[in-house]
Amino acid sequence: METVPVDSKNVYYPPGGILMWIIIFLELFTFGMALVAMVYYGSLERELFHESRLLLNASYGAVNTVFLLTSGFFMAKSVMELKRNHIEKSIRYLWATMFLGCCFLVLKGLEYSLKMEAGLDMNYNLFFTFYWALTFFHVIHVLVGLFILGITTYNLKKNPEGVELIDVEAGAAFWHMCDLIWLLLFPIIYLIF
Amino acid sequence: MKQLNIIWLLLMILTFGTAFISGRDINYATLFIIGIAGLKFILVSFEFMELKKAHVLWKYLILGFLGGFSALLLFIV
Repeated sequence: METVPVDSKNVYYPPGGILMWIIIFLELFTFGMALVAMVYYGSLERELFHESRLLLNASYGAVNTVFLLTSGFFMAKSVMELKRNHIEKSIRYLWATMFLGCCFLVLKGLEYSLKMEAGLDMNYNLFFTFYWALTFFHVIHVLVGLFILGITTYNLKKNPEGVELIDVEAGAAFWHMCDLIWLLLFPIIYLIF
Repeated sequence: MKQLNIIWLLLMILTFGTAFISGRDINYATLFIIGIAGLKFILVSFEFMELKKAHVLWKYLILGFLGGFSALLLFIV
């Protein structure tokens, strides 16, 4: 494995690379603005947003938070093991990360199907327009993250010498970004109204 | 490695803490919920994403985003 020494203290080399961090900030800003808009409209129609929020199951959101945070924990462990050149261990942690990512998607899918059955689709009201748009956009990010981690795992298994640490760190940073976005979405959509 | 385990445990405690607060009629619950979410955000970015090892500019940027976002939310709510 390529482990070119990188000075993270250099402003141009944050962990995961500067391009990934530019993407992370753009994503956080986009989701952040959408959430601010949701809270703003919620402040105009408090009763509607409160009653709609009660139609959500916060337990699903809480369990999904546990799934994502634990997957992020395994991702961090995977990078740490890779830095120690423990490739097999790193791959095992990557599998654990992806498994929990899939658990998140399964539970999200269950939640979506229950909402659809109850007729709570995107056009039901403004709250559910925000709910579907924001959570579905996040799900797409999780899918992209799983794809990146899948490729990383494949490359580490097939040709560990050809894998560069910075690339794995970039994939990890993308996965953690999914955590960060969820940490903003969960309390606002499921809890505060 | 041990530090990561402690951070994960802390994140779990904070998550269950949020669930506990949201299920009860507590004064300033919104403030607590947003505060806990902010703390978790910092733990993930600084520890899991290793931002603590990065240049101070990146740390200020993420803290600035979080501070601005939280302030805006609390102002609207």
